[in-house]
Amino acid sequence: MRNPGPSRPPGEGRILVSTMLRIALAQTAPRLGALDENLARHHELLEEARAGGAGLVVFPELGLTGYQLQDLAAEVAMRLDDPRLASLVTATRGVSATFSFVEESGDHRLFIAAALAEDGEIRHVHRKVFLPTYGLFDERRFFAPGDVLRAAPSRLGVGVGIAICEDFWHLQTAQLLALDGAQVLLNVSSSPGRDLAARNEVGLGTATSWRTLMRTYAQLTTSFVVFVNRVGVDESVTFWGGSEVIGPSGEPVFSAPFFDEGLFFVDVNLEDVRRERIALPLLRDERLELQARELTRIISERAGLATDTTADPGAEPGLDVAALAPVPADEPIRLRSRRR
Amino acid sequence: MPTARPLPVDDAGRPLFELPDELAIDTDVARRVIAGFIQEQLRQAGFERCVLALSGGIDSGLVAYLVAESIGPERLLCVMLPYRTSSPASQADAEAIVADLGCASELVEITAMVDGYFGRDEVAGAGGSEALDASPVRRGNFMARARMSVIYDRSVTFGGLVVGTGNKTESLIGYTTMYGDNACAFNPIGDLYKSQVRQLAAAMGVPRQVIAKAPSADLWPDQTDEGEGAFSYPLLDRLLYWRIDRRRSTDELVEMGFERTLVERVERLVATSEFKRQVPPVAKLGPRTAGVDYLYPRRRPGSART
Repeated sequence: MRNPGPSRPPGEGRILVSTMLRIALAQTAPRLGALDENLARHHELLEEARAGGAGLVVFPELGLTGYQLQDLAAEVAMRLDDPRLASLVTATRGVSATFSFVEESGDHRLFIAAALAEDGEIRHVHRKVFLPTYGLFDERRFFAPGDVLRAAPSRLGVGVGIAICEDFWHLQTAQLLALDGAQVLLNVSSSPGRDLAARNEVGLGTATSWRTLMRTYAQLTTSFVVFVNRVGVDESVTFWGGSEVIGPSGEPVFSAPFFDEGLFFVDVNLEDVRRERIALPLLRDERLELQARELTRIISERAGLATDTTADPGAEPGLDVAALAPVPADEPIRLRSRRR
Repeated sequence: MPTARPLPVDDAGRPLFELPDELAIDTDVARRVIAGFIQEQLRQAGFERCVLALSGGIDSGLVAYLVAESIGPERLLCVMLPYRTSSPASQADAEAIVADLGCASELVEITAMVDGYFGRDEVAGAGGSEALDASPVRRGNFMARARMSVIYDRSVTFGGLVVGTGNKTESLIGYTTMYGDNACAFNPIGDLYKSQVRQLAAAMGVPRQVIAKAPSADLWPDQTDEGEGAFSYPLLDRLLYWRIDRRRSTDELVEMGFERTLVERVERLVATSEFKRQVPPVAKLGPRTAGVDYLYPRRRPGSART
C-alpha cells in the first residue's frame, strides 16, 4: 500500500529548504540472526525509499538482526566502524535514515542501538535506555542500558529524537527529547502483539496501548511522532506492525496496516510543529528548573540522604511508604500489613 | 469496538456454546496471527507441509482449518487414528472435516498396537498377563502415545511438521498425556482457552456438530471431559483466565463468586501439572547447559532442514 502524495524530486545531495518532508516507514520482517540478509534488505528498501522521494527513512528496532536473539546477540554485534554498517551509512547520501542493530562498544558491552545516518555519515547513535526485563521480555539479561538521551540536529532542518520501543513507556523520554530540541520523535520498535480481547478497539491490546501513548506524546510535546514497528514472527511472538505518523496536535497522519510487510510513504509539513507550538505553547511553559529541583530532592530522599517530607510516618529512609501501618495508641499492638 | 458477531445457534435457536464476555477474542486478528505463525514455523524449519492427528473433535478440527487457511489444504495431511472402542461419530466428524477442507487424509487404526501391548480376550500381549487388567488411565495414556508414534512416522513419510492441537485449558489443568497428545513441533492454539477455541472454530466454519458436541478425549466409550472433571468449560475457562492471565488471588476469586472448593481444586491441578508444560530439567554440571545458560532461539541461520 502506498500513498505517493504530491511528487517531489529525490533530494540527492541538496539541503532541504521546503518544510515538506516525505517519510518512508520500513515496516520490515527481519530474519532472526541473519545479518547479511537483513542488511541486503535494508539496502533495497533504502534505494526504494530514495527513488520514491523520501527525505527520511526509518527502519524498526533491531531490523538488522531480528529481536529474540538471546545468546546470538554477541554473534551479530557490530562495532560502529564495522564495514557492514559503513556500507549502509554510505548509502545515505542525500537522505536521512534510522536503522537499528546490536552495537558492541569498545569495552565489549552490547547495546540495542539505533543510528541516524545522513549524507554518508553517522549523526547520532541512540542506545536503548530502558530494557524491559519482565513478562515476555528478557533484554537486561543480554544487553547493557544506554545512559544518554539526546536530540540530534539533522539535515532535515529540525532536531530529531530517537527512542527505541520501551524507551517510550517512560514519560521522561519524549519530554527530554523535545526539550533538547527534537521536533520529530522517532520510535523504532519490535513490539510483540498480545491480548486479542474483542473489547480492544483494534483487536489487539498492545496496539491500543501504543496508540494512546503516541498520541499523548505528540500532543504534549507538540512534535511529530514517527513510530516504526516490525512485523513477522520470532519464535512464539508475532510483531504487529501498525507503524504510524502522528502530527504535533496528536492527530494521526498515517497508520500502516497490522502484520503486513511494506514500505509506506507519508508526507508531512514540518511547519505544523511551529503552528502547533505557537497555538499551544506547552513546551515554552515547561518548568525545567522546578522539575530539576524536585528531582534532585527525590533522588536525595530515595538515597536516604535527606529527610523525606512526603513519606508516610514510619517509612524507612528512601522509601515513601511505611512497611507497617501506624498503630493507634489505644489499639492492641498487632502486625497489620498495609494494603499496597 | 469491533461488531460482535452473533454466536452460532442450533435448530431450536439456542447458542451452540457459551462464550464468557471476558474471553471473547477478535477472531480476525487471531486468524491473522496464527496464519503467519504457522507459515513462519515452517519456513524457519525448512518445511512446507504439516501433519496432524485428527480425532473429529473441535481442537484438532480447528487446527486443521487454521493450517489449511494458512498454507493451503494440499499441504496438510490429517491422520485419523481410531481404536476399536473409539466413537464412530468421531470418525464421521473427522471425515466430514477432511471432505470440507479437501486435504489429504489417512486412516491408521491403533487397535493392533494397543492390544498388542495390553493383550485382548484373555490372551496376554507384550505387556504381560498383568497388563490385561490395566486401568483406563494406563490404556488412555498408551493410546495417546501410540497415536504420537504414528503421527511422527507419518511426519517422515509426508515430509511435514507435526502440528499440536492442545488448548490452553487442558494444558493448564494437565489434562494431557506427556509425549502423547501434547507432542508436537509447534502449537497454534495452545494459548486459547476452550471457549475461545469454540469461538474461533465457529468463525472459521468448522462443522456445527463438531462445535456442539461434548468435548471428549474418547479414550473409553461415553467419556466426556466435563463428566470426568465435573466442571463446565466456560466456568473453568473464566476461573483460569482470572487466576492466570489477570493474576487474581484465591480470595479475590471467591469474592468474584467462584466457589472456594473449585478454585482450590483447580489451583492444585495447575500446580501438579507444572512439569507437563516444561522441558525436563538437566542436572547442571558443565560450564554451559542447554536451557539454563546456553540460550539460543530454536530457529536461527543454519537451523532449517536443507
